[in-house]
Amino acid sequence: MKNSHKFLLFLILLIPSAAFAQRAEAFQQSRKWYLPDHLKLQFAGGIGFLSGGPGYLSKNETLETDVLFGFLPQKFGGDALITITGKTTYSPWRIPLRRESYYVAPFSLGFYLSYTFGPQFDTKWPAYYPKGYYWWATTFRPAAYIGGKLGKNFIVKDRKRGFEFYYELGTYDLMLISYVQNRGYLDVSDIVNLSLGVKYGF
Amino acid sequence: MKKYISLALSCLATLTLSCDSFILYNPNEINLDRDERNLSEMNIKKIQAIPLRDTLKFILMGDTQRWYDESADFVKSANSQKDIAFVLHAGDISDFGINQEFKWVNEIMVKLNSPYLTVIGNHDIVANGPISYRKMYGSLDYSFDYGNHRFVFINTNSREYAFDGTVPNLSWLKSQLSNNPENKNIIVIGHVPPFDGDFDKKLEKDFSDLLGSNPNVKMSLYGHKHSFNNGEFYNDGVHYYVTTSMGARGYWVVRVWKDGYYLEKIEF
Repeated sequence: MKNSHKFLLFLILLIPSAAFAQRAEAFQQSRKWYLPDHLKLQFAGGIGFLSGGPGYLSKNETLETDVLFGFLPQKFGGDALITITGKTTYSPWRIPLRRESYYVAPFSLGFYLSYTFGPQFDTKWPAYYPKGYYWWATTFRPAAYIGGKLGKNFIVKDRKRGFEFYYELGTYDLMLISYVQNRGYLDVSDIVNLSLGVKYGF
Repeated sequence: MKKYISLALSCLATLTLSCDSFILYNPNEINLDRDERNLSEMNIKKIQAIPLRDTLKFILMGDTQRWYDESADFVKSANSQKDIAFVLHAGDISDFGINQEFKWVNEIMVKLNSPYLTVIGNHDIVANGPISYRKMYGSLDYSFDYGNHRFVFINTNSREYAFDGTVPNLSWLKSQLSNNPENKNIIVIGHVPPFDGDFDKKLEKDFSDLLGSNPNVKMSLYGHKHSFNNGEFYNDGVHYYVTTSMGARGYWVVRVWKDGYYLEKIEF
C-alpha cells in the first residue's frame, strides 16, 4: 500500500495549484474554499466500469479538475480492479442554446493520470530486474482525450446548480506508442475509446 | 427513479455490446471473444488432424511484441512457404502484457494458412498478462504429440518469478521427457534460452542435463534474444536454436523427420 500513499500525496499537491486559487473568490461568500464544486459519475474511459468523485471548477468555468474513484467488477473485466484517477479537462467555449438555461461546450481537451491497485502492478520495478529492463510503470497510466458536453443550469433553494452530460474519446500512452510505430496495421480507431459521464454542480 | 436507472443501465449495456471495441474499462481488463479462447487446445486438435508426412515442416518465429506491421508482413512471408504444418511462436506475444495486444497478435496470426502455437514470454507475464495468456491460449506449460514427435512448451521466464526456483518447472519437464513409451523425438520450446541471464542460473545445469541426458532430445527452440543464434552450447548432443524478433524480420523454417532435422533461416 506504500504506492497508494505516494499517489494520494501527489494528488494533494497537484490539485490545489490549478483549481483552488482561481475559484476562491467566486465562492467565498457561499461556501468554504475546500468544498468541491461538483460530482462526476463516469462510464468506461479506462478508469473503471463506473468511476465517480468530486471536482473543482475554475472561476471562468473552463477548467475542471476531478478525482475519480473507479471500480471494474470481475464480471465485466476478467479481473476486479480499483483505480484512482486525477483528471483535468479544459473546455474553452460555452455556447448558450435558445432556451437560455441550456448550453453546449463543443470541445474539451483533457488529460488524466490513473493508478490501478494490485500486487501484479508495479510503480518501481523490483530489484531483481536490471535498471530499465521495463521502461513503463504498470500502475500509472497517463492518457489524453477530447470530447464535448451539454449542460443545463437551474436554481434550487436560491442557489445556482448545474447538470452536464459529457462524452470523451481518448487513448493512453501504451496504445499511442503502439499506433505511432504501426501506422500500417493499426488505425486511430483501434486505439481510441469512448467514455460517457454526468456532472452535477452545486 | 428506478425506471430511469434501469433505462440508463440498459442503454449502457446496449452501447457496450454494440461498440465493444470502443469501450475500455481498464487497460488491464481481459475481454475476449468466444473465438479468442483456449487457442492452444483448439490448434493442437487442428494440427493432429493434419495427415502425416515423412518430413514435418514448421516455422519457428517469435517476439511479435509491438511489431504489428512487421508481424503482418511475416504472415505474408510464412504463407508463401510450401507445406508448413504449423507455426510456433517463441513468446513475447505482447510487449506490455495488455490483453488488447494479445488480441491484435492473434488477429494477425489467424491469417496464417496453418494453425499456430505459442510459448509464454517474459513480456507476457507483465501485469495481467498471465490471466490473458491462460484464458486465450491455456496452460503456461503444455505438450502434444504429432507423428514421431513430441513438442514440449515450457515457461522459462525465471526472472519474472524473482528466480525463486519454480520456473522453469523441472519436475514437470522431467515427466514430459521420461514418459515416452513410443520413443518419440522430443523438441523442447521455451522463450528464454537456458544460457541467457533471464534464466535461473541455479536451474540452468539441471535443465540442460535433462535435455542432454535424454537420447530423444536433439534440438531445443527459443526466442527472446531478438537475433538468430544456434549451437550445441552444452556439448551434449542437443542443438539449441534461437529465432530473431519480428522487428528484425526473420524466422526459421524447420524440417524434422525420424532420424534428423534441417533448419533454414528466412529473412523477410
